[in-house]
Amino acid sequence: MAKARELKGRIRSVQNTRKITRTMEMVATSKLKRAQDRVEAARPYAERLAEVIGRLLNPELASRYPLLRQPETPRRAAVLLLTGNRGLAGAFNTNLIRQARELLRDLRARGVETELHVAGKKGLSFFRYQGETMRTGVTDIGDRPTAADAERLVNLLMDEFTSGALDAVYLVYARFNSALSTPPTTLQVLPVQTPPAAEGEGRQPDYILEPGADEILGQILPLYVRNSVYRALVETVAGFYGAQRTAMKNATDNAGDMLEALTRTYNRVRQAAITQEIAEIVGGAAALE
Amino acid sequence: MAAPSGAAAGALRVSVITPEATVFEGEADQVVAPAWTGQLGILRGHAPLMALLGTGTLRIKQGASESVFHVSGGFLQVVDDVVTVLGERAEAA
Repeated sequence: MAKARELKGRIRSVQNTRKITRTMEMVATSKLKRAQDRVEAARPYAERLAEVIGRLLNPELASRYPLLRQPETPRRAAVLLLTGNRGLAGAFNTNLIRQARELLRDLRARGVETELHVAGKKGLSFFRYQGETMRTGVTDIGDRPTAADAERLVNLLMDEFTSGALDAVYLVYARFNSALSTPPTTLQVLPVQTPPAAEGEGRQPDYILEPGADEILGQILPLYVRNSVYRALVETVAGFYGAQRTAMKNATDNAGDMLEALTRTYNRVRQAAITQEIAEIVGGAAALE
Repeated sequence: MAAPSGAAAGALRVSVITPEATVFEGEADQVVAPAWTGQLGILRGHAPLMALLGTGTLRIKQGASESVFHVSGGFLQVVDDVVTVLGERAEAA
């Protein structure tokens, strides 16, 4: 019975696939947990930093810092895209890449020169395939991005922005709202979008500033930029595992549905075969009489 | 607003935070930090302060025990006996 054997083979193959996707789901779940913890751990620093900048910054000071320079007509902008290094995460990487392409197209339509920087194997291989030139591409940022990784990515961009070679720097990453919601997001890192001043509470103690507000801001603004990139890295990793878990869960569920259908067909075919065999025997016996 | 009045009772609340994690959180009697302009000692009742950090050793003293960190970059903030050290790098030593 060729049909039954074929079905049996397919059932086994789907079972194996389900075993793999289920394992991947579990691995992604545990990695997601750890990545999520890192997103949480990064929050206090970012909040404090934003708070302090909001407190120290005032409009008169703003024009003095190169990182806050607001070019009237941006001529050249950099786009830094973060993607996963791996696939099997549904549309996660595709969505990020699409967001970056739209941003590039937008900027070019406005007559802005663009340059592309990519971190993550998936983004890199996509744009390489497209024949798009990338100024930098890195793939060695793993599951546990460090502040040093962020520094490495953004320092060049900060220098070029300061020197005037770049007028804007955009970051495309996956914001981590929850494991199920990781929308691709564009963040303008330079010029620094200053956090809203912590006013309204009227609680503005007279700080002793050591050295002065000037120097403090001069030192802290780069920290803020680096920290934005660091957070984006951490959130992208968490988002990746969230997306992968969802994708693998769906795959496992689908495999289950398929197995059910296949098993049903297999049983029907098997039964049909038995029935036919009996009919043949009976027929054969009747013919002998 | 109750900063100086309650100061006698409480201790300093200290947290040391890096971009990656909160490395220390607790109470202390005294904090000695490597500020941009030199070593800086903080006891309770200190006036609100914001200082840049240089590179060096941060000491957090609580009774006889002492926690020591190597820090570099970042800054330190003191308000109402709450000391927040935001270090770009901070490692327990």
